[in-house]
Amino acid sequence: MSIKIRNISKTFGKFAALNDVSFDVGSGELVALLGPSGSGKTTLLRVTAGLEFAEEGKIFYGEKDVTDRSAYQRKAGFVFQHYALFQHLNIFDNVAFGLRVRKRSERPSESQIRARVEQLLDTVQLREFAKRVPAQLSGGQRQRIAFARALAIEPEVLLLDEPFGALDAKVRKELRHWLRNFHDTTHLTSVFVTHDQEEAFEVADRVVIIDKGVVQQIGTPAEVREHPANRFVEEFLDLDHDPVPA
Amino acid sequence: MAGAITFFPTKAARVRRATAESPFVKVILIGILVVFFGLFLILPLVTVFYEAFSQGAVVFFKSFDDRATLHAIWLTLVTAAIAVPANTVFGVAAAWALTRFHFRGRSILISLIDLPLWVSPVIGGLIYVLVFGRQGWLGPWLQQNDIQIIFALPGIVLATTFVTFPFVARGLIPLMQAQGHKEEEAAMTLGANGWQIFWRVTVPKIKWGLIYGIILCNARAMGEFGAVSVVSGHIRNKTNTMPLHIEILYNEYQFAAAFAVASLLSVLALVTLVIKTYAEWQAERQLRAAAESGE
Repeated sequence: MSIKIRNISKTFGKFAALNDVSFDVGSGELVALLGPSGSGKTTLLRVTAGLEFAEEGKIFYGEKDVTDRSAYQRKAGFVFQHYALFQHLNIFDNVAFGLRVRKRSERPSESQIRARVEQLLDTVQLREFAKRVPAQLSGGQRQRIAFARALAIEPEVLLLDEPFGALDAKVRKELRHWLRNFHDTTHLTSVFVTHDQEEAFEVADRVVIIDKGVVQQIGTPAEVREHPANRFVEEFLDLDHDPVPA
Repeated sequence: MAGAITFFPTKAARVRRATAESPFVKVILIGILVVFFGLFLILPLVTVFYEAFSQGAVVFFKSFDDRATLHAIWLTLVTAAIAVPANTVFGVAAAWALTRFHFRGRSILISLIDLPLWVSPVIGGLIYVLVFGRQGWLGPWLQQNDIQIIFALPGIVLATTFVTFPFVARGLIPLMQAQGHKEEEAAMTLGANGWQIFWRVTVPKIKWGLIYGIILCNARAMGEFGAVSVVSGHIRNKTNTMPLHIEILYNEYQFAAAFAVASLLSVLALVTLVIKTYAEWQAERQLRAAAESGE
């Protein structure tokens, strides 16, 4: 399912976090929101998920206007930087959470839930950890569980807020490849926020570069590198000093 | 009285610093502490039980075979059964609102929650007499409609609720502040509604802080003397709670009976202490877990 972001503006007090932001994420695309800290990229992702609301503009999932729906009605898969796993629940129950809170009429049976959760734990290769609690897992393992939990509700879009930001370099690289492979097999429309250009260029189909709440450039990694739209993009990507071969 | 209450004190460092006291000073300080503890806390507590059984176990148990005493115990239980759940709901709501939202007047509100800890309990009772009493603001209207609040159960419950208001909220605010609300947000994106988020995510997260607050609130509700004394009117078999009843028995020279009832309240205090310590320990664990998973 595609995502359409139309003329989104949001302020925190006097600070304009987002200023007339518009772009589309095509169905099955993997897009990175890239920008320095404080650029508004996380706010934009949270507005897209319904965790925060913009003062102006509209959000569409496919043709559906979801602007006034809150997060629990939009049901976008969301992965947080610091995992946000339920500390008091074991891994299995964490992944099953989204299925168990469904209305009775839509809720799968307990055996269906079991099958689905086990399949997801296989996907993230952590099936043997089902009975552990989050505190017993490493950062990389926790983030994989957070993926599995977000996927359990069969979301039509996946939103990731600095998903690798809290991990060390090696694990970050592994998970990056894992995400790209996962996306290549499922083609689930995905948006992820990052401040790391290497990560954005390596993983994403297209990159949206944001600064001061304004979109600076949208394009494929090659386009952005070869034709930076303005001075900010050039400097942020450090193209003057260290040209990356296209 | 609830003078000094510490919520989840942090552990001091063990390393001896240049500023640390000499062993001699240490011994003196610890000595003073032990003497103080013995004289002002342990000895009186032992005395309560000693006096209660001074005329034998038969007299002790006979003290409870008395209509006025049983009524006082019953009234205390009823009062706590209303005031504690009410303050649990207030406390959770207050802590939730104060830690989730940043609004103007927030810090004033946090201070106001503490108000019952600063003012004398007598004043806590008096304000209700001034509002609901015969000569009070609402007195004439209440009389016309035949509603009695002062010198009746509603007054006792109001005064008790006032005095015990801070405990639940104060226990929860630091905990909920440290935990943040990422887990609640995660639950929201997974399709949970507000009610489900509260019961399945928030309550388990704050469970031990909540139990800690409730148990302190309950102990204070059952033991409150000053505020209740003002609004109760001390009518035997009607508006006498356990603490008030103890005073009456004592003034009537029924020492064994007075101490027998007092020992019951003391047992409550000891049970509270045990549960409180355990809950505090668990709450600290939850806080640590929050700190670890947070950053």
